[in-house]
Amino acid sequence: MSTKSDAHAGDRTARLDLEEPIGSKAFRLLACGCILVLTASYVSVLHDVTQVVGGTRALVALVGAMLVAATVLAWLIRPRTATVGAVAAGIIGFAYYLERSGVGIGIVRTAGDTVLSDTAALAAGLPLLRMVEAGIWTLAFVPAPVFLSWYLAVRGRYALSVLPGGFALVFLVLTGDAGTIVTLVGTLAAVGAIGFGELERRGGSIAQADLLAVLFALIVVLSLSVTFVPSGSGPSGQVAGSDSGTLEGTMDFASEQSGIGGPVDLSPEVRFTVEADQASYWRTGVYDRFTGDGWIRTGENRAYDGRIQEPPGQYERSSQIITAETDLGVMPTAAQPLAIEGDLTQHAEVSRHGQVHPESPILEGDQYAVESAIVDPDPEQLRAAGTDYPEPITEDFDYLQTPEGASSEFEARADVITADAETPYDKAVAIERHLRSSKGYSLDVERPDGNVAEAFLFEMNEGYCVYFATTMVQLLRAEEIPARYVTGYTSGQPVGDDEYVVRGTDAHAWVEVYFPDHGWVAFEPTPGESRDSVHTERVEQAREAGAENVDTDTSADDPISDTEDDDVTERPDENVETPEDSQPDSEPENETESTEPESEDADPETVSDSSNDGNGLWHSLVSLLTVSRETAAIGLIALIGLVAGGHRTGVTTAVRRELDLYWQRSRGDPDRDAERAYRRLERVLAREYRPRKQSESARQYLNALASDPEHAIDPREKTVVEGYERAVYGGGVSQAAADESVAIVDELTRARLPVIGQRH
Amino acid sequence: MTEPTPPTQTGSRTTTETLEVSQVADLCTEIEMNVADVIVGHEEAIEHVVTAMLGRGHVLLEDVPGVGKTMLARSIATSVDCTFRRVQFTPDLLPADVTGVNVFNQQTREFEFQPGPVFGNIVLGDEINRAPPKTQSALLEAMEERQVTVDGETRELPDPFTVIATQNAIEPNRTYELPFAELDRFMKKLELGYPDPEEEAELLERTVGHHPIDALEPVTDRETLVAARETVANVAVESPVREYATRLVGDTRDHARIGVSPRGTIALLRAAQARAVVNGREYVLPDDVQTEAPVVLPHRIKTTDRDRNGATIVANALERVPVE
Repeated sequence: MSTKSDAHAGDRTARLDLEEPIGSKAFRLLACGCILVLTASYVSVLHDVTQVVGGTRALVALVGAMLVAATVLAWLIRPRTATVGAVAAGIIGFAYYLERSGVGIGIVRTAGDTVLSDTAALAAGLPLLRMVEAGIWTLAFVPAPVFLSWYLAVRGRYALSVLPGGFALVFLVLTGDAGTIVTLVGTLAAVGAIGFGELERRGGSIAQADLLAVLFALIVVLSLSVTFVPSGSGPSGQVAGSDSGTLEGTMDFASEQSGIGGPVDLSPEVRFTVEADQASYWRTGVYDRFTGDGWIRTGENRAYDGRIQEPPGQYERSSQIITAETDLGVMPTAAQPLAIEGDLTQHAEVSRHGQVHPESPILEGDQYAVESAIVDPDPEQLRAAGTDYPEPITEDFDYLQTPEGASSEFEARADVITADAETPYDKAVAIERHLRSSKGYSLDVERPDGNVAEAFLFEMNEGYCVYFATTMVQLLRAEEIPARYVTGYTSGQPVGDDEYVVRGTDAHAWVEVYFPDHGWVAFEPTPGESRDSVHTERVEQAREAGAENVDTDTSADDPISDTEDDDVTERPDENVETPEDSQPDSEPENETESTEPESEDADPETVSDSSNDGNGLWHSLVSLLTVSRETAAIGLIALIGLVAGGHRTGVTTAVRRELDLYWQRSRGDPDRDAERAYRRLERVLAREYRPRKQSESARQYLNALASDPEHAIDPREKTVVEGYERAVYGGGVSQAAADESVAIVDELTRARLPVIGQRH
Repeated sequence: MTEPTPPTQTGSRTTTETLEVSQVADLCTEIEMNVADVIVGHEEAIEHVVTAMLGRGHVLLEDVPGVGKTMLARSIATSVDCTFRRVQFTPDLLPADVTGVNVFNQQTREFEFQPGPVFGNIVLGDEINRAPPKTQSALLEAMEERQVTVDGETRELPDPFTVIATQNAIEPNRTYELPFAELDRFMKKLELGYPDPEEEAELLERTVGHHPIDALEPVTDRETLVAARETVANVAVESPVREYATRLVGDTRDHARIGVSPRGTIALLRAAQARAVVNGREYVLPDDVQTEAPVVLPHRIKTTDRDRNGATIVANALERVPVE
């Protein structure tokens, strides 16, 4: 490594005492550290994945092995060999992944475009956790970048070593798995690695690191202010019920994930009406992978092509006609849908789990017909179903998945709950009963940290459907019974014989359990009575408040359900999300301040009164100072970046020169004072008339300017020039003469200032 | 050809007596005024000659005949009350005619040194390029060494010692061009040029009766001149000025076949010192260097390019070289 440091000492940095070159060793350590941080950033993302689907130990071991191998091999094999090896390892890993995910390597040959489109889908924001074999994918993905980047870093090729790591990180950013902080840290580390590597190679100094500071600040500010990562918001992002504060919002905030929220609200608005020959829960989403704090549907949707796989056993057919009463991001159907009809079929997709989804939101008034298979076997039949699950159910899907690190206590409790049960059906019923009897129903719960199922089972006394269903699925899986988490709506308010009005309050989550030869059977772990009362109450309130969209033409006069609503008065005012209700006394909307300048608030007198008030001033000061810590941090980073950028581009020098022009501090050296006074004068004159030619002496310059009668040359300027000449060429000036020069120039420059100059 | 010689004044060069800068400046003004009584116009040339004298240099006046070269030299010499010698260079002039010879004295039966015209405080070498190089070099050697060696005996020349030489720019066939190396020994080479019409009218009016040179009186004496030269020698030349002079000279070397010699740089700074004193300053400014450069440097430069001569190269250097 070259240590030719002086060659790069630019004039600009010459005055800084930071010119002292830092040992290249320190830069090397910093660069290698940055590479490790970059590696850690994307490995941490993958680690989050394996935490859910398993394989954390393998991942850690693999990363460690790769680091060791890279360190050992760094000087043993050539970069080309290393690259080929890493790529080969990656290919083998992905081949294994394809085999395991049931696709087979052959797909690369037979359906290369599918593989390509899968990759494209990942890059377009498909989260890793939606992948069927996310764990294997992770293990296949990680070795190549870790090995290559560390191998190159050890060899000192920092810029190159950022490439594989950066690629890995960018890919994870595109899939949407890498969060802002991880992305930020990784990017900073990448820039740091390149920067410190350059500094090591060129033998730089700290003063040259200002460019790095600029880049850092730029990245931080940009990444925090601009989102370029495709957010995973599905069709429900813009439609009714997508408000994250509502139950529907948390359950279906994105088409492929279902969250578990804290306290939620219920929207009393009508979502859709169903004309059906029998009441049913209206299913909208099926989820199989539990992350500990939410649900993810693995696999990709395919376009609806007329048929959906039917249940293995006997079923009844039931048809519904569903009419959207508002824009919907989901397609409610009775489970399990077999076929849909209507204009919307072209825009329908089917998930791997047999649920239909709209490609784009359904508009208000849209209608579609569904034919469903109602699986409703007798308990006896279910008891007799056995545990001979078909391989696809246990292998290809995550119906038996539990997050890594699920406690043994949870399994033990599952065993206790199902102690008396022999068959899966009995176990399911036991779990269902246990939950219904031991937990209360409340929409107002704090979302627990960590594994929601465990927290609900052990720590919480109340919850709502999401908690019940989640916990039941996890308990079933602990007992090795395939189960899945299902979201949708309850049957709703019956109107007439065969019509149901479904509102936001009917949003619900429940459980489906798989039985061989029968298929998926729904279970309801949520205590029905208390749920109904809470939900009904909500609609009654909305009706009383006169909210819009609470009823259809036909539903208004009917009671919501059979349950009594006598406890309405016991629970007064809950928040109602309608404008009229939330601001009952507010003026009509069009009479806002902006349209009525004469309103009291805009009265200038009032304003000045409040600002003259000492208290008001104090408060505004405090509010100015108490910016959030994040804002302050970003501001600080931006400021550092600005200063560093200014230093790099010479802006700070320019500002200092500008200040110097108008204010000169005595240095205690009369010669330097006199000289600087003249320099200031020269700059003023240069700005006003023309710069001094290089070959012109100070005297000649002034005389040349003075010879033009249009130039107002103050005779005192000659004194300044003489002081300068005497200081530079004549062996020195007295302090008095220097002070006189400074005073003259002070006056001359300040007289040229736009504001102060007016007083002179 | 040579006038009878009064006792030579071989003043010592170690005189410590100096004058104030302002006194020297006034002295110069007086000399210039005095000369201006005889010479119409040519103020700059007069000043250049005076500063050369103060800066211990010699002057070469080159021009067509009849523009007042000799008259200028004579009137300056007359203005200072010191010994003035004049040598008219001709093709048959011998070195001994300049330096002097040892003559056998019949009475004392010893060889006696008969000093040549070079033993004067101000020596006018008229039409120096008419004499052959052998004779020229006798004078030029004396200029540089400030001493003359005759028959193995070295004799010091008087102080001050200033040579003002003139040469004809025309009639190249009947002249011996000064060798380049010897040209270098002149501090300045001046060209007078023709007077303006008004100046010429004035000139005619003055000279139509008695020539004013006859009435010219000295305004100062030898001692004062020596003291003034001491003052000039003490003028400060700070390093920024020295560096500027070096840059200027370096630039001529970069742009000509033969640039200015180190002797030329010394001459430049000495001339600048004198110029500073004339302007009433005890320190040299780049301005002084710039004023002197066009007369001090060009004749030391040799070019191959017809389009450029020493003067243009110096002018370019002044235009190009940064002052600080």
